[in-house]
Amino acid sequence: MLRSCLTNSTRCRPSLSSFAQRRFASNDANRRLQDDNDWTEFQANRASFKSLVNGLSQYGSTQARGNTWKLRDSLHNPSRNATISALLASGAHFGHASTRMNPSFMPYAYGTRAGITIIDLDQTLPLLRRAASLVRAIAANDGQIVFIGTRPDLRPVVQKAAERLEEQGYHVGDRWLPGTLTNKWQMFGHDIVRKERVVPDLVVVLNPIANMNAIRECALEHVPTIGIVDSNVDPRVVMYPIPANDESTRTAEIIAGVLSIAGREGVMIRRAEERKRLEEEERRQGMEEREHFSKQQFELDKKADANAFDY
Amino acid sequence: MNILRRQVCSTLRRPIARQYVTARPFVPPSQLDQVDPFPPRRRGRGRRKNPDEEELDEEERNDEISGPKAKPESQSFYTGRAIYHDNLIQLQNAISRTRGTLKTLQLLPLPPFARESLIQMQTAWKTPDELAREFDTNMTTGRYRRVTALLNELHEYYRIAVTAKHPQLADMIDDILRLFTSGKKNQALAQGKRKKVQLDQYGRSYTVGKRKTSSARVWMIPVKTPLPSSSLSSTTLPVEDVLGLSETERLSIPVPTSTILINNLPIAEYFPQPADRERIVYPLKVAGVLGKYNIFTIARGGGTTGQSGAIAHGIAKGIFAHESDVGDVLRRAKLLRRDPRMVERKKTGLAKARKRYTWVKR
Repeated sequence: MLRSCLTNSTRCRPSLSSFAQRRFASNDANRRLQDDNDWTEFQANRASFKSLVNGLSQYGSTQARGNTWKLRDSLHNPSRNATISALLASGAHFGHASTRMNPSFMPYAYGTRAGITIIDLDQTLPLLRRAASLVRAIAANDGQIVFIGTRPDLRPVVQKAAERLEEQGYHVGDRWLPGTLTNKWQMFGHDIVRKERVVPDLVVVLNPIANMNAIRECALEHVPTIGIVDSNVDPRVVMYPIPANDESTRTAEIIAGVLSIAGREGVMIRRAEERKRLEEEERRQGMEEREHFSKQQFELDKKADANAFDY
Repeated sequence: MNILRRQVCSTLRRPIARQYVTARPFVPPSQLDQVDPFPPRRRGRGRRKNPDEEELDEEERNDEISGPKAKPESQSFYTGRAIYHDNLIQLQNAISRTRGTLKTLQLLPLPPFARESLIQMQTAWKTPDELAREFDTNMTTGRYRRVTALLNELHEYYRIAVTAKHPQLADMIDDILRLFTSGKKNQALAQGKRKKVQLDQYGRSYTVGKRKTSSARVWMIPVKTPLPSSSLSSTTLPVEDVLGLSETERLSIPVPTSTILINNLPIAEYFPQPADRERIVYPLKVAGVLGKYNIFTIARGGGTTGQSGAIAHGIAKGIFAHESDVGDVLRRAKLLRRDPRMVERKKTGLAKARKRYTWVKR
């Protein structure tokens, strides 16, 4: 066991935990777990090893789960502001082939390299912040925001983004059914269209090329759109374009994270204002009641004075 | 020709003026706070009627809600299949929560030797039709597979929880899985398995055998062995002693005989050909129960070969019903298999099914 690790040291250095775990596990490698005692023993072995590692870890590296970068953080723990270095690391500056570049995209292109259009991230960042402040303002005014990302890798991104906006966020992770907005009476039924707000207030599209139907319907229904536009797309298809790579999952996670966190701030602003308004209402009502009572009391006193007679 | 084409092209190229007309001219407000977020709904003559709204009656129009409308509840509202996607999300959440719990209990990731020790459990999820009714969408194969993939993963975690004796966790998982388990679980699990033949109150088996276009209904009952006589009651004599016995003593030992009746006629009368009789008796010989059962059959359809083959098939199934130990022997002799060979049809251009007409050079 040890010798094989040493001979393979140049190829791969197993971390201490996995190596030690293998040592512990080799004892019961071929034995099947038959009864309850076996299972309890199996769990207890692992738990004791884990507690040993936890006990010793305070003397080792200070890297813990909280302060380590993990791949899943971009989806589950995005940052509020995007930086150019983060966008670069996610490959947001890679456009499509220069031969396929849409002429209207020229203002957002930095140049060409290796036959690919490089997108100017110096322009992407302020446009992203503009879109974020738009999302915040719409959410603060009780607006409905729909996140559309119709690829399997974009599905969890739009789900998480909609979760952040709670009751004001919606997602579409599979194919957008044509006629969702323009044929809503048939799609959702008369009751729902009459009683609920079916037309959203903002639509964020993470892959606009595949969702031209959705963008067209939003334009017909006068719904503002934000979208990640790549170099082969005319940026004018959406109202607020964000020039970036639409094929990269990390880029979509960063952008959707920024927009959804801004939306969440808007939701919080709205709730704070609601609460303040309600408190004002209550205070005003309380004062009115007190005024009313004092007036009543004054009247009664006056009457009492009038009816009183000197003894 | 050129003139015609030019005329046609010019008519086609004339732009078809598409007009996006609003009901009333749009005047943008000078100040944003002058915008009324909830304008009163005007139902006047100038308003273009939506054909779907014609169903509104006068009373309904007056009762209509004016003011802030409610937001759609489901976050998957704009997918058009809200219930289906909500269920998928809930299953995914359940899976991730369970995974976290099992990791804390040191039960995940499970090494292969532990995975082999898990209790075997069979699953029967709801059919696509049942799920289509529940989710209110058409359940295509892709959508059904997405649901069952998640259910199978959750079922794996359920097996781990049950095997490692964590009843509360197992119950919580089972609560979710029970919503998707088919009510007809036993039926689904028994699919593909042959129904076991039950013996009736008298110990008779009823089986059906088929061959070509014949079918035979076969009743089999074990022959009642008579009680041994008083002279040879206690001991069973070995064969050598039996052979050495005198005539009278030999005759007193009872030899079991059985009868085979086909359409109420004895076998010798119904099947004059020995080949047919052999075919019928062969299953009894293979199983070694030649004189053990009385057999009554009703055979219909076909000819001699078909009927004898059908009766043999029915007898083999009947023997299997009475004694399942000989199942292997019968199966290896291919007696329990319904012979699928049927008469091949005649084809056009051929004299018979395969026979071609004489080839002529010219």
